Amino acid sequence: MHLRLYLVLPLALMLLAIMVYPLLFSGWISLHDYRVTRLGDVRFEALGNYAYILTDAPFWNAMTNTFVFVAGAVSIELVLGLGLALLLQRLVRFQNFARAILLAPMFITPIAVGLMFRFLLNSELGVVPHYLSAIGIRIDWFGPSLALFSLILIDVWQWTPFMLLMFLAGLEALPKAPFEAAKVDGASAFLTFRHITLPALRSVIMVALIIRALDAFKVFEYVYAITRGGPGDATETILFFIYKTGFRFFRLGEAAAMAFVLIAITLTLVMALYLAMKRDR
Amino acid sequence: MRRITTLFASALLIGSAVATLPQSAAAAELNIIMEEVPDYDIVRTLTDQFMAEHPDITVTFDAMPFDAMRDKILTSSLAPSAVYDVIIVDNPWMEEFARAGYLAPLDDNIAATSGYDFDDFVAPLREVGVIDGATYGVPYYNYALGLIVRQDIFDDRGLAVPKTLEDYVSVAKALTSEDFYGAAMQPQRGYKIMEEWKNWLYAAGGSLRDESGTFAIASPEAAEALRLYIETHKAAAPPDSVNWGFDEALRAVASGRAATMLSYNWMLPALNKEGGLAGDLAGNFKLHEVPGGKAVLGVWHWAVSANTEEKDAAWTYVSWITSKAVDKQRVIAGGAPIRTSVISDAEVWEKGYGEDYYRAVLGILEDAAPLATGTSAEEVIEIIGTELSAAVSGQKSIEQALDDAARGVDRIR
Repeated sequence: MHLRLYLVLPLALMLLAIMVYPLLFSGWISLHDYRVTRLGDVRFEALGNYAYILTDAPFWNAMTNTFVFVAGAVSIELVLGLGLALLLQRLVRFQNFARAILLAPMFITPIAVGLMFRFLLNSELGVVPHYLSAIGIRIDWFGPSLALFSLILIDVWQWTPFMLLMFLAGLEALPKAPFEAAKVDGASAFLTFRHITLPALRSVIMVALIIRALDAFKVFEYVYAITRGGPGDATETILFFIYKTGFRFFRLGEAAAMAFVLIAITLTLVMALYLAMKRDR
Repeated sequence: MRRITTLFASALLIGSAVATLPQSAAAAELNIIMEEVPDYDIVRTLTDQFMAEHPDITVTFDAMPFDAMRDKILTSSLAPSAVYDVIIVDNPWMEEFARAGYLAPLDDNIAATSGYDFDDFVAPLREVGVIDGATYGVPYYNYALGLIVRQDIFDDRGLAVPKTLEDYVSVAKALTSEDFYGAAMQPQRGYKIMEEWKNWLYAAGGSLRDESGTFAIASPEAAEALRLYIETHKAAAPPDSVNWGFDEALRAVASGRAATMLSYNWMLPALNKEGGLAGDLAGNFKLHEVPGGKAVLGVWHWAVSANTEEKDAAWTYVSWITSKAVDKQRVIAGGAPIRTSVISDAEVWEKGYGEDYYRAVLGILEDAAPLATGTSAEEVIEIIGTELSAAVSGQKSIEQALDDAARGVDRIR
């Protein structure tokens, strides 16, 4: 065998062991009635698990909640991240200090962020409801109408810095000449932003959107730490639903089928975004 | 030379004698999975005594939060040899784990242990560990629900402690004022609301299953229980509490913002403890049976893993920690009672929390039933608890929520 093949062999074996084998095994169990409490009675179901979950209302509710969460969180993060990046770019003094402060939330583990906000926004114990009620404002942050929105806000708090980081890097890499020409032509700040900055940043925006959307689809920790999917099923997201099915009810076949449906949906979305990005170039 | 030869021969003899000691005398190491709760601290302390009495058995605990336990027990049970020789089993898991073959039957051990007196465990607790006539677990501690009230307020206002659901609703409403609430409730989705509401279901004369054992969730009794539950939550529970669980409700009662709560019977000593979580209010709380009398029973059991190689040592430990004498020590130290003889012991009353408390606990335990049974109990609790929460938070009507709960339970495969 050629030396090159020998050299890639360890990597290929490792990928087989940690990626390909689990994926194939998940595919296999998604076609079976596979429960870890009934391993002596594993039955081939063909597409039975898929047919079951595709008609399962709680599954689609979890999927809808996840879409709302992703759309809400990522779009707010996009706008805020871009706005903050533009402001930070113009900051002459303390830019590094401001950058360090603004990036801090990104470095906290999400489960800790979830627990922190669970207590900050708790109607009985929380600092935020306490001070809001002092000025006559009463908000039930985890009530049925606001719970999902509260989770979106928590995600925005934690992950806007990521958008900021991406956009700031993009802005700093833009050529100066078009901006100087616009200034000489007397273009307003808004027109410059609309016709030069935004088109020039389009690729960065698309990449940031794809990365954040993929990450937001995996929301689990906030739900687990704060609402457990409630009240009712208002905040049940797809990963929490899969976790419950697989690891609390031990129905791994069904959970694997859900995971494959989720992969198919996210891949379709990513492809759509990628094609949109390619078409606009 | 002869002396040296004699010494050498003696050493060989002693060595071979030690090597041929029976295997049962060889050191056994027991690994036990535990939940981080107050009863665990008591058990850990008592276990030092066990190891002093049984120098051939070493016990180590792996204590963790509740959420981590099911996965750990599962992986230990699926392994060729158990990671945990002794496991503790929550009552919704008992049938699922027993039928999966994770638990060793204990009937022979119980019969062979003199003075163990298995029938001394309060019957509803004992019966949770018995599946199809075989015993897979012996009680560890109970968490049956009772009605905890601010007795000083009831006495001041001349109010009787409610015995029926209707009384409870009207008393809770009567006690509610601008910044004080009649009931601190726990309508959090899933386990919490199910654990609380099922007491209401019993009080309304209902049950999750009909006489044939099939689920009958959307019954008129269930609808009435849910209607009264929602009415009380709206009129007598703190606002914005639709997502409250145990911690929030306890804090509301302990801080003097609520007059009653349905909670674990062993919360009473914690609330009445001087310098404890209720501060100056300590001593004002009293435990009663839940309205209607029949309570939701929670109980943890000790069980021996089916795949452990240390079954004898595991039973030696389990039978020791649950024996009458040791259980008495555990309860005096603050553990939740499980044995009738211990609950009725005058010494326990004196050194523990008083006769009234233990009599109330016995009354609760004798008329209590598990939250859910069957191999899918965990899922049943989650499905019904989700729909109840949807009704309380106004996302669904009572009828729709109960119908959806019934449909969800029917769809469990």
